[in-house]
Amino acid sequence: MTDVMIEFRDVCKRYGTLVANDHLSLAIRKGELMTLLGPSGCGKTTALRCLTGYIRPDEGRIFIDGQDITGVPTHQRELGMVFQNFALFPHMTVQDNVGFPLMIRNLSKAERAQRVAQALRLVRLEDYESHYPRQLSGGQQQRVGLARALVYRPKVLLLDEPLSNLDAKLREEMRFEIKEVVTRLGITAVYVTHDQAEALALSDRVAIMNRGRLEQVGTPEEIYEHPQSRFVAEFIGLSNFLEGYVQAVDGDTMVVSVGGLQMRIPALAEAGPGQRVLLFLRPNEVELLRPDDPGGANVFDARVEKVTYLGDTLDYRLTFGQGLTLRVQSDAQRRFGQGAPVRLRFPRVRSWAMTSG
Amino acid sequence: MIGFWRTHSSTLITLFLLLPALAGFFGLFFYPMLLTVILSFRPEGQAVGWTLENYTRFLADPDGRWVILLTFILSLGSTALSVLLSVPLALILREKVRGHRFYRLMVLVPLVVPGLIGALGLLLFWGTRGWFNLFLLQFVPFVQRPVAVNYTMHGLIMFYVWLYFPYTCITTLSSLESLDRSIEEAGEVSGATRWQVLRHIVLPLITPGILAGSVLTFMAAFGAFSVPLIAGGNYRPLAVEVYKQISVPIPARWSAAGAIAIVMGALQVIFLSLYMRFVRRGGSPQ
Repeated sequence: MTDVMIEFRDVCKRYGTLVANDHLSLAIRKGELMTLLGPSGCGKTTALRCLTGYIRPDEGRIFIDGQDITGVPTHQRELGMVFQNFALFPHMTVQDNVGFPLMIRNLSKAERAQRVAQALRLVRLEDYESHYPRQLSGGQQQRVGLARALVYRPKVLLLDEPLSNLDAKLREEMRFEIKEVVTRLGITAVYVTHDQAEALALSDRVAIMNRGRLEQVGTPEEIYEHPQSRFVAEFIGLSNFLEGYVQAVDGDTMVVSVGGLQMRIPALAEAGPGQRVLLFLRPNEVELLRPDDPGGANVFDARVEKVTYLGDTLDYRLTFGQGLTLRVQSDAQRRFGQGAPVRLRFPRVRSWAMTSG
Repeated sequence: MIGFWRTHSSTLITLFLLLPALAGFFGLFFYPMLLTVILSFRPEGQAVGWTLENYTRFLADPDGRWVILLTFILSLGSTALSVLLSVPLALILREKVRGHRFYRLMVLVPLVVPGLIGALGLLLFWGTRGWFNLFLLQFVPFVQRPVAVNYTMHGLIMFYVWLYFPYTCITTLSSLESLDRSIEEAGEVSGATRWQVLRHIVLPLITPGILAGSVLTFMAAFGAFSVPLIAGGNYRPLAVEVYKQISVPIPARWSAAGAIAIVMGALQVIFLSLYMRFVRRGGSPQ
């Protein structure tokens, strides 16, 4: 347990009838970059505000480095935070902005100057000490924000959608910059975002939240490859869902009837014949074959309804079986026109048992 | 002639439309101002001749200089107190406490109530037999005699504050509300207490708003007339002094009154330009 830096233990927060955090329990390890990911209103921001102390949870405790900080006021929590709208002090120069946490801590002028210079070097803004925030671009302002958050070497760095006010290209650059700085300092970081691409690219682990609850916690690969719920699968990446029921179970595989077709997929431990199941396929996990290619297990005839050219890939909408639709992305080398017959092969199909109803 | 009309028609129409406004400006403002200026340089009671005597008599007289000093004391004192009152009040009002709309409305009451009515009410409330002193005598131990408020300097300053602080309070509140709250959150997360956030972040950022509001309070207090007239007792600032010159002596001393009025106006213009220069130089961080 000593390698845990932040722990939410059964944290609840309600706003009237709205439950923002519903018995949230989450442990974040030392030196880890944990992303809280979810749609707006899922409670990720509330969880972060509980961590800063701007919101007091109704129930539960929060620990930082083994210390219960639930009742500790914000200014004593020793946190660094980067804000969505930068939240720089407009009446102070870059140097004074970054030096503010040190000034509050009564560091000597000389040490302040040295540490500020060091922090600005970290975010590559050495030459902007005497600028005011309004003289800087959005990306530069956010780097000042990062320097201010890191200058007094806090135990924990909090990032609240730090890139959502930047344009798309800059966002991608800053993503790597933040990741690099956090890794270099080995600091524990909590990153809040609704952007799944950002979460996958940055995080050591991702916690996906929905309606105040944790849906799944895991590495980006785990989350992407093995989503544990339909919500997670839908939220991360593109997905196809097909409903069917189990016809027979044969050792490691089971036969599922989907839209009048039979698919052989890995058996679910809890599934017996008659069990309704939800099949899940990523658009890039379907092979497109020519209609005269040989058939076999999990190969079906389909028809192209719509093709969209996306540059490096083609995006197909296909129909097959009885009223089944599927979205498939494949590289642009082999092309099928609209209305063309194709063959589909499903090398990999994941499934969940559906509760009846 | 027709050619002239063609080329200048829009200018002529503009002039024609401006005519009522120009006439109003000239008749109601410029002409009386000019007359006051001329009058202030005429020997008292005469329609011809030029003299500086009206000015020199007022400015050389210790009583005259006391009137100027008193006007500054009253208006600067009430402005300072208004700021001290407005900043905490605005900080409370912006928190959207229960009933904050009602309190906001209450702040505006002194602006809506005519000064004369307000002053009369204040006189009644603070008088030796008013509710304030009745309360003191009844419930506060060791108070044997009523406390004098009316017709004193501190009482007059208090009345001024009541009448003119809304200007400062409203502008302070609006500049507070235009602040981004996440800036304060950033300050607190950085390790600053609420008080340090207020001192290092909030106050510097709302200073321009406070200054803009306080200059309004100052100008209103500097020109105050009805309140000191009925509640000032022996404390007569410039506006009351002007009135005294035309109402007390027989015949009325119009030239003396004009000179004092011009001095008053000049002081206001000087103060305002000094203030503008100060604000432009360093008062504003933006």
